[in-house]
Amino acid sequence: MRLKENIIRIWAYGSGLLVIFLVFYIFGYIFWKGYNSINWEFITDVPKGMILGTEGGIAPAIIGSFLSTSIACAIAGIFGICTGIHLEFYTENKKIKAMIQTIVQCMGGVPSIVLGLFGYTMFVLHLGLGRSVISGGLTLGIMIFPVVETRIEKAFKEVDENLIKASYSMGISKAYTIVKIVIPLCRDRIISALILAFGYAVGATAPIMFCMAVINSPVSFNITKPSMSLSYHLYILLTQGISTEKAYGTAFVLMLVLLSVIILSQILLRKRK
Amino acid sequence: MLFWKKYDKIFADILKIAALVSFFMISFIIIFILKESLPLFKEIGLKEFILGRRWKPVSVSGQYLGILPIISATLYVSFTAVFITLPVGIGCSIFLSCVLPLKIRNILKPYVDILAGVPSVIYGFMGLVVLVKFFENMGMATGETVLAGGILLSIMILPFMISVCEENMGETRKRYEKISEAMGVSKWYMVSEIILPLSLKSIIISIILSLGRAMGETMAVMMVIGNAPIFPKLMGKAQTISSLIALEMGMAEVGSLHYSALFASGFILMMMIFCTNIFINYLKKKFL
Repeated sequence: MRLKENIIRIWAYGSGLLVIFLVFYIFGYIFWKGYNSINWEFITDVPKGMILGTEGGIAPAIIGSFLSTSIACAIAGIFGICTGIHLEFYTENKKIKAMIQTIVQCMGGVPSIVLGLFGYTMFVLHLGLGRSVISGGLTLGIMIFPVVETRIEKAFKEVDENLIKASYSMGISKAYTIVKIVIPLCRDRIISALILAFGYAVGATAPIMFCMAVINSPVSFNITKPSMSLSYHLYILLTQGISTEKAYGTAFVLMLVLLSVIILSQILLRKRK
Repeated sequence: MLFWKKYDKIFADILKIAALVSFFMISFIIIFILKESLPLFKEIGLKEFILGRRWKPVSVSGQYLGILPIISATLYVSFTAVFITLPVGIGCSIFLSCVLPLKIRNILKPYVDILAGVPSVIYGFMGLVVLVKFFENMGMATGETVLAGGILLSIMILPFMISVCEENMGETRKRYEKISEAMGVSKWYMVSEIILPLSLKSIIISIILSLGRAMGETMAVMMVIGNAPIFPKLMGKAQTISSLIALEMGMAEVGSLHYSALFASGFILMMMIFCTNIFINYLKKKFL
């Protein structure tokens, strides 16, 4: 019996430490190797060189990524908050509620590459938006919607019910209660959900491969034009064997965004307590 | 106040519309993907498409569109990943839920969740420069193998497995900790005789959940698996459905049979993942 217990103890400690090491390793590796490729020129210049990408920087990619992800967050945020409120405060029928929740869950299960296909037919071909930042943003919005919605719904669920009941019993309308009491109470959690979704969308490559990402684009804020994106640029640099050094730099920027997103959301979530 | 009373109805309507839009989105996704893949199902037929053993979309000697090797590669990689993840995932869940005090556990859990947030293209990058290099240094002809994809995927699905198992184990521990202390048995006896057997159900659920996750993964796997549409071997190249779509979509002419075959494989992938999701819901209802 002792032997079995000891094996389990070693197993638990071993795998726990392995996982912690893995997180350290991934971040440490990228930061350690990418640190040297980062300079002011890399952040603010367009890609240059005989083979595009061997020199210069990634400014258009940074702008493209941030634009498309912001569009995605705005759309997912609006629809997420509305659907969350509708589910939590307006849907009395349990069956309908469960059905909508299942549908949202199903959307979360759609693989990102299939979303990319959908975005291509729907936004690029049928709606005639062409390959553009806006099509990419909409596709990403669909991708992060389930994540945002479930988190926001959870936040609404945890609002003290007595507050809401007190508000109703004073004869205050439902809309006023929600806008003035529920949403301010959940503000931090809603923002943190959106920030986390931002981090999720910034790294997504598959959905924007067909809708938005191109190999080269100028520095512009025009959302009807195609644009580079950080993740796609990293993919191209690696698979075409263009420049590993620049790839480390791009990965560094991506990981930096991810890290700041996680830290920000943790700060917001802890503030609540 | 009157202002708000007046707009109460409109507010409710706006919310309803938003909820309806999200409801229609999923049906749109299914309908559009299905619509684009219909020409293929008409021309070749579902059975031929799924059971066909050759994938040659553009070829002089005739077009073959069969994705059996690609489906089997998708499943093969996913199962390899789950197989590798399972021991580490369960061990780490025990570590988080039963070894650490609650305070440290609350700090470490978000830390482990970071693994789920790392973009898949970064995983692919790490896979290329670390895993594939490692396999090549070992003296293999190519480092781009199903095994490399499996190892990479296993890291990506770890957080999903851990979060399901860990939650359940934490609850079990809370329920039985006092009792087992009163009985005077050691903590590790409790882990091996009570917690592990009781969390078997949640372990099964977590396996299926991570399978679903693994099947839909695109970038990371695509970068290390070699992308050859042949039947998978552990040490050989293969191609998953998602990497097939990602790679060949740029080459396919809009409206051609090849194009519609790619949509059809996307549809099949989506159905595979829906099935696992439905299965998980069923298991959750039955078990938990």
